[in-house]
Amino acid sequence: AARAVIGRCQARRRRGRCVLGWRVAAAITWSVLLLPICTAAFIILSGLDPFHPVRWISNSFNDLYTSYVIFCIFLMSMVIIIISIFNIEFYAVVPSIPCSRLALIGKIIHPQQVIHSFVHAIMGMLVTWCATVMTKGRFQFLAVSCTPSEGLEDAVPQMCLNEYHLFFLLSGAFLGYSYSLFYLINNMNYLPFPIIQQYKYLRFRRSLPLLIKHSCVESLHFVRNFCVTYYFFGYIPKVWICTTMDLHTDGKLHPLDTLSGLLDLSLFYHTWLSGVFLLMTWYIAWLLFKIYATESHHFPIQPTFAQETDQCLPKILNSNPPLLIKFLALQDLMLLSQYSPVRRQEVFSLSQPGGHPHNWTAISRECLSLLSDLTQRLIAQQEAAAAANGRAKPPVGESSPINMSFQSQRSNIVLRASMSPLVKPSLMPVKTSPGSDVGSPFSSPALNYKMGVVDIKSPWHGPVQSPHVMRRGPKLWTSVSDQQMNGSHHESFPVLSAARTGTEAVQPRFIYTWLQNKQEQIKTFLSKRALIMYFFSKHPEASIQAVFSDAQMHIWALEGLSHLVAASFTEDQFGVVQTTLPAILNTLLTLQEVVDRHFKLPHVSSKPPRISGSLVDTSYKTLRFALRASLKTALYRITTVFGEHLNAVQVSTEHKKRLQQFLEYKE
Amino acid sequence: MFPHLSGLTLPCAPSRAGCTVRAFAWHPHTNKFAVALLDDSIRVYNSNSATVPSLKHRLQRNVAAMAWKPLCASILAVACQSCVLVWHLDPTSLSTRPSSGCAQVLSCPGHSPVTSLAWAPSGERLLSASPVDTAMLVWDVSTETCVQLQWFGGGGVTYLAWSPDGSKVLAATPSAVFRVWEAQMWTCERWPTIRGRCQTGCWSPDGSRLLFTVLGESVIYSLSFSEYRGEMQGQVGGSKTASIVADLSETTFETLYGEERIGGEVHSMVWDPTGERLAVIIRGHPESPNSQPAVAVFRTRNSPVFELLPCGFVRGERGARPQLISFHPCFPQGALLTVCWSSGKISHIPFFFVGALEPHASPRRSPVPVPAWHPRASPPSGAPHTCTGAGCAAPAPIKGGFSLPLLSSP
Repeated sequence: AARAVIGRCQARRRRGRCVLGWRVAAAITWSVLLLPICTAAFIILSGLDPFHPVRWISNSFNDLYTSYVIFCIFLMSMVIIIISIFNIEFYAVVPSIPCSRLALIGKIIHPQQVIHSFVHAIMGMLVTWCATVMTKGRFQFLAVSCTPSEGLEDAVPQMCLNEYHLFFLLSGAFLGYSYSLFYLINNMNYLPFPIIQQYKYLRFRRSLPLLIKHSCVESLHFVRNFCVTYYFFGYIPKVWICTTMDLHTDGKLHPLDTLSGLLDLSLFYHTWLSGVFLLMTWYIAWLLFKIYATESHHFPIQPTFAQETDQCLPKILNSNPPLLIKFLALQDLMLLSQYSPVRRQEVFSLSQPGGHPHNWTAISRECLSLLSDLTQRLIAQQEAAAAANGRAKPPVGESSPINMSFQSQRSNIVLRASMSPLVKPSLMPVKTSPGSDVGSPFSSPALNYKMGVVDIKSPWHGPVQSPHVMRRGPKLWTSVSDQQMNGSHHESFPVLSAARTGTEAVQPRFIYTWLQNKQEQIKTFLSKRALIMYFFSKHPEASIQAVFSDAQMHIWALEGLSHLVAASFTEDQFGVVQTTLPAILNTLLTLQEVVDRHFKLPHVSSKPPRISGSLVDTSYKTLRFALRASLKTALYRITTVFGEHLNAVQVSTEHKKRLQQFLEYKE
Repeated sequence: MFPHLSGLTLPCAPSRAGCTVRAFAWHPHTNKFAVALLDDSIRVYNSNSATVPSLKHRLQRNVAAMAWKPLCASILAVACQSCVLVWHLDPTSLSTRPSSGCAQVLSCPGHSPVTSLAWAPSGERLLSASPVDTAMLVWDVSTETCVQLQWFGGGGVTYLAWSPDGSKVLAATPSAVFRVWEAQMWTCERWPTIRGRCQTGCWSPDGSRLLFTVLGESVIYSLSFSEYRGEMQGQVGGSKTASIVADLSETTFETLYGEERIGGEVHSMVWDPTGERLAVIIRGHPESPNSQPAVAVFRTRNSPVFELLPCGFVRGERGARPQLISFHPCFPQGALLTVCWSSGKISHIPFFFVGALEPHASPRRSPVPVPAWHPRASPPSGAPHTCTGAGCAAPAPIKGGFSLPLLSSP
């Protein structure tokens, strides 16, 4: 995706500004420029000699200008550039959250990730090689002449393996691999957008202490793990190197894969220090890329020249750009709606010949389609959760009538939501929705789900749904499989299903049913095995996070839309916003209902988990809380500004009631 | 209270001796206010319901400030000793004792005691500050994440005021310097004062003018800012120097009760949301027995030129000193000033006038005037003890000094 962005950028550079290319270039340049500083700090700390401070300092400064240090800096710049390229290739604005352990393992052994890990291991080895060269002393060379043994003065000097050097190189590879693994597990490729706008330098300065602390702690953990690994498996690479390079082992020196060999404080210190150096340079590259990529970008509303049309905010929102560009566009929309009266005026303006509010129409349409897309997704997820609840009970037929009626009530609600004015923007009262009468306590819950699913599917692909909306987030594993599962439940009630599916062709239906039954049997069989359950079981929290993984877009859409609507009360001269106000209110209120219901589901915590102030950003875990808050604020912003005038807006009676509560500040 | 800050009296928590109300906050949209009492419990009074929820939490100690979230039904942020508590109250609930599970705890190591709070008028961010922490925190309350706004020099922050248009924030420090932050890119302008630290400040409704006072001087300064238009990213746009707009040095007044001396340093200052009335608590000289702290009210106009005319004084019962003042954020007929007295009484003083200009802030709702309540008594039974209605409304201003009849309690 990133390559596409850059490619697109390069294609656009002919026309005008490029959004990402320059940012990436600047980020790489800065991380390379910061490298000599890190190197100097490393050299000074590695020659640490507290008993002779003057000699220590002067030696360190003399070392800085030597040719091999300069060569190392050059080599490590290459490493930084390669690491940055990987950062750019792997970044995501929507994190992919593995819902089960199996999915996580699948991600780890994915070829892309294997390449990532492999290259990082090599790079780690290169960096530690540079570190050994700069540290000098006993770590510098792989092959050293053996200590001459007494008594044999005439013996030919032999070359022996310097195990310290090997230890260093292997630790580098281990660190590189661990970095890559943690990069994946902690979703460090996720680009979180800051909650306030700040200048890049200030953001960098703010994160620097955290970065240093994180590198030190992480390096300590990695080196500890490496020591353990080396203790058990260290002899393998040692013997291999010795045989391939025809080196001898020095009998005089302690082998390092023993307890006493590893208890070498100086070795540990230097390994740790080179680990800190490696992690810091890499994290700086990563941090700078993050800061540069998430910096807000100023998109013009109206093109100054005809050629710039495709760089305008309405155009970008409605086209299908790379996700990062879309995010930046929405962020810009949020900022302009909040801070810039001049640009708001452009949004509310009419096109010169014709007098159409093209800008406003395009922006509001895209925001609304984003929000209704989220509504649909949440409904589907609630379906799945309700279905999963049903499955937790004894499966076929045995469920108690109370439970069944409860479920059917729930699915009834879901049905209602799916038929709400969002799908049909007419003012049809919700009560007439055709599915709602199925919810008698005697019908199977599965039947209702089935209905619900059908209802959901249709608008999902229908005209309401914008075809441009990208759903790059992880597939909701839950919803798909559980719906199928429900289908099979449903088929186990032949009478009921016959009544419902009478019009369908019998033969393919039967094969399908049989297949589904088999699938279900296999699944039940497998789910009884504990080990498989361990890998397959979905973490409920993770699946919820997955649903809301791109909620940042929706938050900005909400903020942008509500600020624009609020500003239109005084600034909109032509009344362009009024025409879309009912649709906006409908969408927001429907979403509000669905979000409210989401937070009432079981397994859904109503409070955000505590976020430790670490370098690794986990803000995607709390996006749903931010969404809930900004949705409410957005509604209040509109109701506070419009006040009693909202009574004149045409919305359904149910929504009118809800609006009244907002007007009375009782939500 | 804070030994390391000896000599500092916090603006929101004045001399605690003889103080019964620690903090007071009007809800920005409805007739509802919260009062923090000396025992650190918080009562929420609502004109539409008889239930008075009492908020208690084990972390709710040394409450120094409270603020209701704008554009929200009932979320109250409380500055406590060790953290910021954010209470999520259900506006329809009849419970008088919300559980501590309704409170979110926002804490950050090194950020205590929290003494000032400010919500962004758009309701999205919360600022918290402590006089000992050099960093000011910007919170995203829903996700409990914060961003530190750090600077060097000047110590912590003793007073925060977010301008009503949301564009700027005043942050006063314990040293002789205060800062004005611009709330989009979060850069700041540094303002050194000559004599002492900035004691209090308030913004005009459109955020173009800041009035502030300095400890040790009995004058009100005004600082104007260029009008905020989103293009000037990262610039605060303050004028070169602040100008003196009012001299409040001690003057003798002939009153019904004899001669009284009023004047001195300004202790706190609030500007009503329409920008037509300014109320200040003038601290009298502690040495002279005649000199009493008083609430002075001014008539103000911000455009086309700034004007500040004396309007009158508000006095409570004999011996009662005003401690906290606050204007109702959406009083439809004019302005409603609320004063918390050292006797533990809270009085509401309405000012009826027709605004010269439409307010720049968000259009207001139309709540009903509120009678005065005693924080200890339940609203209906507690007899109003101060003036209500037009009898107390400030008459037309008399120009040329403090020659107004004193408003006194009946």
